[in-house]
Formats: sequence, C-alpha cells, structure tokens
Amino acid sequence: MPRLNSYRELEHLRTSLLEQRQPITHTVMICGGPGCQIAHSDGLVDALQKEISSQGLKDSVALRATGCHGFCEQGPVMVIEPGNIFYCHVSSQDAFEIVSQTLVRGEVIDRLLYTDPASGVKIQTEAEIPFYRDQDQQLLSRNRLVDPCSIEDYLVAGGYSALSKVLQGASPADVIKEVTAAGLRGRGGGGFPTGRKWLESYQAPGDEKYVICNADEGDPGAYMDRAVLEGNPHQVLEGMMIGAWAVGAQQGYVYVRNEYPLAVQHSRIAVEQARALGILGENILGSSFSFDVNIARGGGAFVCGESTALMASLEGKVGEPRPKDVHTAVEGLYNKPTVLNNVETWANVPEIMLRGADWFAAKGSSGSKGTKILALTGRIKNTGLVEVAMGTPINTVVFDIGGGAANGHPIKAVQTGGPSGGCLPVDKFDLALDFDILAEAGSMIGSGGMVVMDEESCMVDVARYFLEFLQDESCGKCLPCRTGIDRMLEIVTDIAEGRGRPEQLDLLEELGDTIAQTALCGLGKTAPNPVLSTLRYFRAEYEAHINEGRCPAGVCKPLITYSIDADKCNGCGVCLRSCAYEAINGEKKQLHVINAELCQKCGICRSECKFDAILVA
Amino acid sequence: MLQLVEINVDGANIKAPKGSRVLDNAFEYGICIPHLCHIKNLPGTGACRLCVVEHVTNGYSKVTTSCTLGAEDGMVIRTNTDRIRKLRRNLAEILVAEAPNSRAVQDVAVRCGVKEVRYPFRNEQCILCGRCVQICTDTWRARAIGFVGRGKDRQVAYPMGIRPESCKQCYDCVELCPMTITPCDGPIQPGQEYLCGHCESQLMVAEDIPGSCTWCRLGESFGCGRYG
Repeated sequence: MPRLNSYRELEHLRTSLLEQRQPITHTVMICGGPGCQIAHSDGLVDALQKEISSQGLKDSVALRATGCHGFCEQGPVMVIEPGNIFYCHVSSQDAFEIVSQTLVRGEVIDRLLYTDPASGVKIQTEAEIPFYRDQDQQLLSRNRLVDPCSIEDYLVAGGYSALSKVLQGASPADVIKEVTAAGLRGRGGGGFPTGRKWLESYQAPGDEKYVICNADEGDPGAYMDRAVLEGNPHQVLEGMMIGAWAVGAQQGYVYVRNEYPLAVQHSRIAVEQARALGILGENILGSSFSFDVNIARGGGAFVCGESTALMASLEGKVGEPRPKDVHTAVEGLYNKPTVLNNVETWANVPEIMLRGADWFAAKGSSGSKGTKILALTGRIKNTGLVEVAMGTPINTVVFDIGGGAANGHPIKAVQTGGPSGGCLPVDKFDLALDFDILAEAGSMIGSGGMVVMDEESCMVDVARYFLEFLQDESCGKCLPCRTGIDRMLEIVTDIAEGRGRPEQLDLLEELGDTIAQTALCGLGKTAPNPVLSTLRYFRAEYEAHINEGRCPAGVCKPLITYSIDADKCNGCGVCLRSCAYEAINGEKKQLHVINAELCQKCGICRSECKFDAILVA
Repeated sequence: MLQLVEINVDGANIKAPKGSRVLDNAFEYGICIPHLCHIKNLPGTGACRLCVVEHVTNGYSKVTTSCTLGAEDGMVIRTNTDRIRKLRRNLAEILVAEAPNSRAVQDVAVRCGVKEVRYPFRNEQCILCGRCVQICTDTWRARAIGFVGRGKDRQVAYPMGIRPESCKQCYDCVELCPMTITPCDGPIQPGQEYLCGHCESQLMVAEDIPGSCTWCRLGESFGCGRYG
C-alpha cells in the first residue's frame, strides 16, 4: 500500500478496504490468546483454513486468528458471525463439521456449545453465556474485530480515525482537557489521573519529550496487558500517538516484556505497518506532527515495571528505581519530560477522543471511570480475562461471572492487585472495584489480578508466597525493601513452621508500616500489603498457627498430620499403591494406617482416595 | 550563577543553593539528620533511608529521604517528629541486626534510638550502603566498582570480577566503608552478636537539644556530614 499523505487518503483507503470485503458473508473468529494457543488453537486455524478452501468458501468466509477473548478456561474458543455462535473446546478434528454444517448450512453443532454448569443447559450464543453476559467488554471486544497482524483489519474497524480527528482539529490543550474530563486513571496500578500527568508533561519546559508504553507486566497470574498488546497493538499505538501529540513528544517506546514473544512480534509488525502507511514517522498524514515508536524488550526483572527503573533500563543502565521527588512527567527518560502509561491506559485513549469524555465517564463510579480488565484466577469455575465497569461489586465478578467456588469448598477471600495487593475476606465482597474504595480497605485494584481463594487456602501461606516473590524481585537498592521484606519473610516462615511467637504479630505490623512509608519505590512501598491485609482480616489464622500450632486450612506442612478415618476406610489399597514414600501400611479390606515418620505430607493419598477417608489436621 | 533559596528545617530558615541536598544544608546549619549511605556533597542515592524527613506541602506531609531531596524555595521540612523518629528507629534496628560488627552501624543505631533488637542477628560483611560505589563513580569517575546482582544477590564487585585499569588503588572505598571500623571492644564473634549501646551517654547530650548537632562522637566513625 502506498504512503498516506492526507486525512482524505486515509478515509479513501478505509472505504476501498470495506468495498473489497463486501462479498464476505461469514466471519470466524478464533482466539489466538496464550490460553487457547496452549490448547492448540493454531492447529485449528490451519485445519479450518484448509477446509474452507477445499469447500470453496474462500471468498465468502473470513477466518481470523484474533487476540484473547477472555474465556481461557474453555479454550480454544471461537465465535462465528452472523449469529454470534460460540464454540468451545474446539479441536482441529472439528474443522470439517464446522465448515460443512455451520458455515454452509447454518446449523449449530450441539456438541461444541458451552454448557452452563449451573443449569446444565447448552447455550448457543456468546452474549447469553453468564461469563460474558455480566461483563462490559469495551477493550477486549475489539480484540475479536481485528487480526493483530493486519492494519487493514484495524482500519476497517475504524482504526486511526481518532488520530485523524485529533490532528485535524484538536489542540494539545483540547486533548488533555478531554482526557482529564473523562476521568481516565492509570491502569497499571497506581491509578494516577492520566490527564494530570499529561498536563504536567505538556507544561514542562523543553522541546525533547518522550512517551512510553509500559508493557512489562509481571504480576503472577495477570495477563491483561498481554491480551491487549497481543490482540490489538494498533489501538495501543494510536493511543500513544494521541498522547504524544498532546504533550509534544517526538519519540515513543513500547517497553515490552521479553517473555511475551507474541506481544513483541505483534507490536513490531504493527509499528512497521504504521510506518509503511505514513501513520508513524515524519509528517503523519500530511500534518506537521512527526512521531516514531521503537520497541524495547525488557530484561526479565519485575522491578522494571516501576516507571523510573523502566526508564533506567531503557537508557541502558541497571534497572533500579531512583527517587521520584521530581515527577517523571518533568524529569524522566534522559532527564526529559516523559509520559509513561500502561498498555490498557493507552488503549482507552482513542475511544475517548472518538466518542467523547462523557461517553467514557458515564461508566464507572464517582472516582474511577471506564472499564477495567481483570485476570480472574483461583478456586472458581470460570477463569480468564474479565472486563467490567469500574464500581462493579466484587460479588458480581466472583460469583456471577466467575461462577462461584470450583471445588465445593466455600470461598474465603480474594487477593486483588497482584503480589503487592491485599486479601479481602468474603464479607467485604460487596465493595466496589474502585481505586479509592479498595485502597481504603487495605487492598488495591493494582494491575487487575484477582486470585480467588477458598477454605483450603491458608492465609499465612498466601502471605508467605507473595513475600517470597517480592523478596526475590526486590532490586536490593534500599534497606527497607531488601532487608525489611526478608525479615518479614523470616517471621512469616517462622509462624508457618510453628516457631511463631505472639509478639511477632505486632512486630510484623510495625515493620510492614515502616517499609510502606520508607521504601524507595512502589515495589517496596506496597510489598507489606499481603501481610498487612491478611493480618487485618485473618488474624485468627495467624493466632491459630502461633498459639495452637495448627493450620486451619491444612496447608502448612510442619503443622499438619495425615491420618486415615477408620469409619470411611474400606481397605481398597489405592492410597497404599499411590504413596511414593511407602508410608501407608495395611492389608486388603482392612483399615490402612499412615506411618507419620515416613509421611512427607504430599497429599497424593488424599487426592486419590475416593471415600474421603484421609484426614488432615 | 548560584541561586539561593530559603528552606525551613524544623522551624529554622536556611539559605541554600537551589537543588542542593537538604541533608547537607541542614548539617551546615547544625541540624543533625542521622544518615549512613550519604557522602557530603555527592548527589545521594537514598539507599539506607535513615535520613528520612517529613516534607510538608499544603498541610500534607510526605516521608522522603533528605539526601536525595533538592532544595526548592519555600520548602518546609520536619526532621524530628514522632513519626520520623519511629521510622528511623525501626530502620536502624534492621540495619544493626544485619551487621552488628561495625562501630559505625552500632553508633548510628544508638543515634536513632535503638534500645533493643527484635530480630535474630546476622553477621553480614557488607551492608550495601554503596558509599564505596558512590565515591568511585561520582567523585573519581573511575567506575572501577559497582553493584552486581539483584535483591539478596546484590554485592559490590569489579566489572566481570577483574580489577580494571581505571582503579588507581586510591583506597577511598576502604576509607569510607563503615564495615572496616570494628566495635570498641574488638570484633564480635559469630553467634555472639549484641547491641553495644555503650555510647548512649552521647545521645543524652543530643536528646537535650533535639535535632541539633552537638558534635557527638556518634558520627565520627563513618564520617557523618560533620566530620566527613
């Protein structure tokens, strides 16, 4: 395609692409997100492609491998339009049937439909599935519209019209005013008002300015930025361009985690495509605005998701944070004014410019506007990516969308905001997902991770897990983070292993408070959260570990013993055969006994026993 | 041209060069903010966090380190509030628990009011304050030593483990290292670590005039802003 030199040429290209696609009657959208890819969605794409050609439907069917749809639990998933037909757990063997029945004859294949676990009813369309019904997908829904490697798809879906609109008539001050009015707040965790950050950078002196997209997502279990950047990289780029125009930047960087090879590849392709069309580069669309983007790969340090550490890493220095007494919006990359926003924040910008601040601000709560993508994982039925309006109660997400407890044990808590977020008990589930409300409750929205825990999760063990992660990922520059977290871990490990002392709980709180106030960067400042929030809501569990030497959830190995219930054991011998340590003895049809000295508490016998005869106490 | 601004530290109005470190300026005036990793008139790294102060803006106070805070006109700083004293004490406590085998660390713990250590002692060789790296990098521009590794693996080392040509063996790194100063009673044997506290009488003098430098001998061992 030739370079576009004016706004009219862009619109002309869009119209001609639309005309080319007139003959298409059916669109098949297969999720190519990480979850579905593991379930071999690329094999399915190839098989369908072959089947479509051999049945002569090449001109009327568009097959699209898209970014993540969200329902990773059911992968590979696909949606067929028209009809909004949703198939799940599809394999490449189903390709012939899908083409010959659904695409040719319009028949729905019952076998591939989703079954609602609550009612047992098969559900035909995506929109009716409870998991999707209660969501408000603004960003994720756009993943289905585009093939991430095709700028044509993005243009057909209305792409770059926000950029064109901004360049044609909006001054930088107008753009900043609009973003401020929309009430957009940073999606990376801090929740800093985006408009205010942009204004600060806009007003900062100097001609050389930068914009950065932070795609160094590292929270365990969180992958919303990955889904957006992999699935719709052009939308992120468009957001960055609008931001660059607003603050006066000529250069942008996408700092993407190297462990996300698809995100790296897709964003590179997107940049090249945009450059070829003249949407990136000198005099974009014939205007006076020049801007280019480079893709930088992260080196694998969690701390590089922190803005100043990220900038140090981009400059080629060791990825360590520096004090932020002067905001990075004024002194950032190479000491120049720099706007750094999260992937999701940037992706929200084009729609705000296109549909207006009021449209965006209509969703959400008083302090937090728009929608937020959450990564829902843990002991619930439906796991995956979920997008809801800000202000939605946790209840809706966990029970309506998530489908409630997976293993029959009652749900106890949810951990929000990744490793430095907090745990909220089930009686706080009526709280709204809102930056300020969650912060007040001792947790945070953070980047949007949500790990649901049930009665079989030990909160002391959870706190220990997150402390271990953070201690490992701390850069080690400042004393409270390097040594303080290590000391907290030491104490929590003592408690989990039965060496805890009652006065250590107060010490934990005092130390946590000190770290939160004095650490150098956001990683250290929020690191005590998992401990402080579990201490606040689940102190009884800590006390049970310390005072009674008992782990109520039966998780902390030094505090539990396995035994066999004499009433339930029928001597089938399954446990005896499955035990890798030969710790179980017993004759056939006789009561079996566990030898406590040999038992390694691995729990295999418990999971193998069909009669619930293995007890943990 | 040197531009002077006026900052307010604990009620005292101090003229300071714009952008210079609040910690250095407070010392010039005689206000003692305990610190360890900072070397006078170097940019500061904010590693030990002992020099935390409250920076008050619009009635809202923020805890930050005075060794990295640049002086701005009208800045209001509080160095000796209850909140700060408690934070400083807790920080010094984890510091001295890490390396009791240094007079400098023991002294700074006394200065910060540590009376007991609630953590098991460790006998580390290096507290990663980074004074050696700062002097080598910022003053001599030699970059002969630097930090290697992350988190618990962090250590001071030569590039690739080999002493580079740029190291002129000036030994400033050794000179400034707080770990080279043994406790008055001699080195503490592993397993027998204790909080010394012998210099507490020094603190009595300092406590009578809170926040003021009384030329106590607590900062001498590591060359605090007064002695350095």
